[in-house]
Amino acid sequence: MRNQNDLHDVEARCTEEQPPACSAGCPLGIDVRAFVLAMKEKSFSKAWKLLERGMPLPGVTVRLCEAPCENFCLRGELGDAIAISALEKVCLREAEHSTPIRPLPARGKKVRCIGGGASSLACAWDLAKKGYSVEIVASEGGAGAALKARLPEGALEKELEKLEGMNVRFRTTTSLTAEERVTDEIDALYIGHDDFTSGLPADLACDEFTRQCSTPQIFTGGASPQDSFITGLSDGRQAALSIDRFLQNASLTTGRFPLRHGQTTLSPETEGIEHLPRIAPAGDMYTAEEAAAEAARCIDCHCLRCVRACVYLQEYGDFPRKHARAIFNNFSIYQGVHGAYSLIDSCSLCRQCEEICPTNFSMADICLDARERLVEAGDIPPNAHYFALQEMHHAQEETSLLRHAPGHSASKVLFYPGCQLAAMRPQQVWILYNYLRGIEEETGIWLDCCGAPAHWAGRKAETKEINARFRERWLEMGSPKIVTACSSCLEHFREDGGLEVDSVWNLLVKFPPEGIHAANIPLALSDPCTARWDEETKESVRTLLQDCGQQLAPLAASGKTTECCGFGGLMENANPQLAQKVIEARVAQSEQPFLTWCAMCRDRLAKTGKPVYHILDLIFPSQARDPAEPPATISERRYNRHLLQKKFLVELYGEKETADKPWDSINIDMEEDIRLLLDSRHILEDDIRRTLAAREESDAFFVNSDGRERASAKLGDVTFWVEYRREGYIYHILRAWSHRMNLVKEGD
Amino acid sequence: MDLRFIPDDMNWICQPCGVPLEARKVEITYLNASFKVELPVCPKCGRIMVEEELATGRMFEVEQLLEDK
Repeated sequence: MRNQNDLHDVEARCTEEQPPACSAGCPLGIDVRAFVLAMKEKSFSKAWKLLERGMPLPGVTVRLCEAPCENFCLRGELGDAIAISALEKVCLREAEHSTPIRPLPARGKKVRCIGGGASSLACAWDLAKKGYSVEIVASEGGAGAALKARLPEGALEKELEKLEGMNVRFRTTTSLTAEERVTDEIDALYIGHDDFTSGLPADLACDEFTRQCSTPQIFTGGASPQDSFITGLSDGRQAALSIDRFLQNASLTTGRFPLRHGQTTLSPETEGIEHLPRIAPAGDMYTAEEAAAEAARCIDCHCLRCVRACVYLQEYGDFPRKHARAIFNNFSIYQGVHGAYSLIDSCSLCRQCEEICPTNFSMADICLDARERLVEAGDIPPNAHYFALQEMHHAQEETSLLRHAPGHSASKVLFYPGCQLAAMRPQQVWILYNYLRGIEEETGIWLDCCGAPAHWAGRKAETKEINARFRERWLEMGSPKIVTACSSCLEHFREDGGLEVDSVWNLLVKFPPEGIHAANIPLALSDPCTARWDEETKESVRTLLQDCGQQLAPLAASGKTTECCGFGGLMENANPQLAQKVIEARVAQSEQPFLTWCAMCRDRLAKTGKPVYHILDLIFPSQARDPAEPPATISERRYNRHLLQKKFLVELYGEKETADKPWDSINIDMEEDIRLLLDSRHILEDDIRRTLAAREESDAFFVNSDGRERASAKLGDVTFWVEYRREGYIYHILRAWSHRMNLVKEGD
Repeated sequence: MDLRFIPDDMNWICQPCGVPLEARKVEITYLNASFKVELPVCPKCGRIMVEEELATGRMFEVEQLLEDK
């Protein structure tokens, strides 16, 4: 979204602000939904205001309107349409009060409305409110004569008094002469066909939309006295709108919506809504209680499919259309608080909204685009993705490995487990690699991070660089087919990298290991979000599970509508509290243990305490892990990646271990609660060791009279603090914390 | 941000200087913003100590506020 046009295109795809069918079916555009909901609350005064604001002659209109809105009410297909007309009459009974209408200041322009029918009265009403000087010329019976018989005593007079209060003048005539239609002394003329039966010009054609005749000052409407009341009223209103624009020399059509006739793009979900018949009043009219009960049948039409499904959207309130504007506005602010950073950086980019939305609105697209712009401009909040990018660099620089199979100088296949499977399940990577070599002996190994975090962080240039590097290395290996166990890598290589890649599950379904073994309970299968549209792989996973007899428990959001575990798009990094809410909501969707085929999903979901299986636990039961096992900490993940790299180098390739880092010899020890505290603060045990190594080198630290010591070191953009007690060569870690602010030493 | 962050426990000695820390006004900076704050400082070498409560509380809040600017 770089300009207003882009924004409008994006906004137009979210239909939440489109009118519900009832409003779209009301020729006056009354906010029927709000009215009915106010009636449900018995807020009669509020409900009346909604009617009064939008209706000409409300006391007449409520009584005579034929309620076309009810024809479009979606409740109609789920029982009976809401009795909107009857509710309006109750509202009138309970809350009608004649607030004098204050017209806008006089504009000095005169309009004559010919006819005393509904259309002329409506036209006069709307124009008088806007400050025009209006005269009504009615037939002999007087203004509203044709309506009077259908109204209770005094109802018409009350509304006519309001017109008089707005300085509308009334005149009657027995025969309508051509002189009445002369526009010399007036600025515009409205001719209503719903009163006089003679004297009207026979060939008065007008534009259906604007109701303007070939003589520009003349407008017309109200087909005949027999026409429906609301049609006449609507014609009068449309003509008044045109006359107002005409007298201001404005375009009659620009930015003006034609009548919707019930058509709207708002399409609420009606599945699962119980059928309910209309409440029948005990007497002639609803009592207040009956009316509230009838109004309570309203299904309150909204779209909000995406919001109901997505914890992130619920967190930020509103709906995507509003977010699109907030994000757009974020770029127009040069000083002050940019309210949308957190919104932009917290989206998991999982594209569930895109799948669910009837018009495929994508929060991922607008958030990713915004991140790219912020990175380009150097405005991205530095902390939002810092740790994830550090981890990516570490995996790429410290624990990567790319080799042909031992004893081979070429590869037909390259196994790419993905950095997280390597970090969380190194033993399973090892056994899987050896199994794959049994299928194809020229299967090389590639340990690395694909660069998806850079892409998610909006770092376009860096992502491009990583992709180029990957492509180069892949070509050097003879461009073998990459087989990956990570759906994010798969997606990234396919879409951004241009590498030949497939999922390992598509291979395993053709060569299922012999010992593959189902768990003895049904499991809720949670597909990774990056495999949302990867039908082939989802099918392979299901076939593998079916063939081993694994029963699956139903899980509503799965397959194409699956949910992110809160890691995608770096949500967990930018907004850890929200990511926690996401997984808690996810595991609450089934009472059964979960099963997933993404390493990150397994550990993220297990963070809630829910038992979660990884599919490899079933495929290789000898290496199965306890589903109740807590997730690996960030330090364990680094350690495991190192371990796996070492295992490959030493055991498969007979090489020496890679050299230890100088700080690896620092001996630290801590309680479990401190280990978890560090994990939640994104402080690595490596950071602790490096801080203590710096302390040993400089011999600078703080010491308390009780023996505690504190050391600090600035590593990259972050300053780390460690509090510990020293016992010989062992550091017992008591606390650790970090900050990004810089301390300026005196004299610096 | 508040200008004074001196812990109740000031029994800290800077090593190797061997002198107790004192409350002193120092400058802390982040993203083109700078603040004068009173913190425990070694009067000899000028090294500054940051408490856990400060780093994870007020300092973190201000970091986030500045990042949103």
